[in-house]
Amino acid sequence: MRRAALFVGLVIFGWLLWDTGADPVRFVRGVPWMLEFLRRMLPPDVQVLPSALAGALITVEIALLGTAVAATLALPLGFVSARNVAPPRVFYPARAVLNLFRSVDTLVYALIFVAAVGLGPFPGVLAVVAYTTTSLAKLYSEAIEGIDPGPVDAVTATGATRLQILRYGVLPQVLPLFLSYVLYRLETNIRAATVLGFVGAGGIGFYLQTYLRMIDYPAASTALLVTIVMVMAIDALSSRLRARLV
Amino acid sequence: MSAMIEVAGLRVVLPPAVAAVDGIDLVVQPGEFVVILGRSGAGKTTFLRTINRLVEPTAGVVRVAGRAVTGADAAGLRAARRQIGMVFQQFNLVRRASVLDNVLAGRLGYVPALPSLLGRFPAADRARALECLSQVGLAHLAGRRADTLSGGEQQRVAIARALAQAPAVILADEPTASLDPALTADIMGLLRTINTERGLTLVVSQHQLQTALAYATRVVGLRRGRVAFDGPPAAVTPVVADAIYGETR
Repeated sequence: MRRAALFVGLVIFGWLLWDTGADPVRFVRGVPWMLEFLRRMLPPDVQVLPSALAGALITVEIALLGTAVAATLALPLGFVSARNVAPPRVFYPARAVLNLFRSVDTLVYALIFVAAVGLGPFPGVLAVVAYTTTSLAKLYSEAIEGIDPGPVDAVTATGATRLQILRYGVLPQVLPLFLSYVLYRLETNIRAATVLGFVGAGGIGFYLQTYLRMIDYPAASTALLVTIVMVMAIDALSSRLRARLV
Repeated sequence: MSAMIEVAGLRVVLPPAVAAVDGIDLVVQPGEFVVILGRSGAGKTTFLRTINRLVEPTAGVVRVAGRAVTGADAAGLRAARRQIGMVFQQFNLVRRASVLDNVLAGRLGYVPALPSLLGRFPAADRARALECLSQVGLAHLAGRRADTLSGGEQQRVAIARALAQAPAVILADEPTASLDPALTADIMGLLRTINTERGLTLVVSQHQLQTALAYATRVVGLRRGRVAFDGPPAAVTPVVADAIYGETR
């Protein structure tokens, strides 16, 4: 049994190597080109720093606005897709819709929204909202399903309404988790937003792609360095905040 | 005077097919301090939780303070629950909320719905919550987070929450099972004070015989979801205790 599984695994692995054209020799031959690429990127062109910073600012704005809107929209969705709060006839369709929308990545949403509303940061914001709303709703609903039922019983026993039970029995238990998830999503959305510019949805990615197309490698390396610093700074800030929450 | 709690033909079948409560008839008069005795698994918790329908009974009728609990619609059930305070073994406070906010939850059945969802309570209700906190001797801890309190203090807060409902009845499900003997006496004493001074009707489940006999005005023994004994504490003889707790039938 175990041998058969190992054999099947090896066959699949071999087929994957063959079908993707994976070739170690080709990789080794490419190494000098990569080094040449790196050499051409140095030193970074400081003249484009202002536009790279402006682009980075737009990227942060896209992620911030998109995450904030999504965090709010996800609230009702999170409650209706939590098994222990929503009745089954609401829960099952809600979960299905969430899984459907979550299977499409932010970048694909960006392509759709650029086609719909035109170039610029706005389709980027829409793309972040579309993906983040459903992914946060899923995380919210899982937090809700993990609560201690005791306080919910206690609030129910006071004669509270369904909404009051959610507000006083459920929400205080899940709110810190929700905030932590939102910050985590903000971190990943900053990263996602850097590539949104590649498809015309604004931000630092737009500059990076333009410089690469113009074969202006020193300028591209400035944009890349700004991106790295920006992502690291936001990550550090956000994980500090998260550590204080839970 | 009419009865405070009337239970007739109560049955609760839990999935797959366990009769946790198997035909209970019980009438509790105003001002009684009833202790429900029984081994774990005898149906004490399920029985108490059907009185305010936290557990839905399979069959039977429950009335509390003249209001139908079984058969009531959502609004009727809330009105009935409002007059039934409940205290739990694990205290069931919202751990991250302040002590005062936990007690204020007891007012939810009375306050206007929309402001309460925004976290606003009328001044009179806040005053009432504080008053209930001082009755359990914890007014000085009103601003503390609930999970920073000791077990005994948390149970006092839970009792204050029940009192804030201005209830006619308090149900307490093993309120001292998570506490040491000194705190047990403390909490049971507090419940007795509420019973004698406020005239509230109490139904308290206990698995400890000595504690039950020390505080009850009436003892109801449950065994396998049925009433095996019902009488004054003085009538609980070793033979009776064996009928409630004994290994054999």
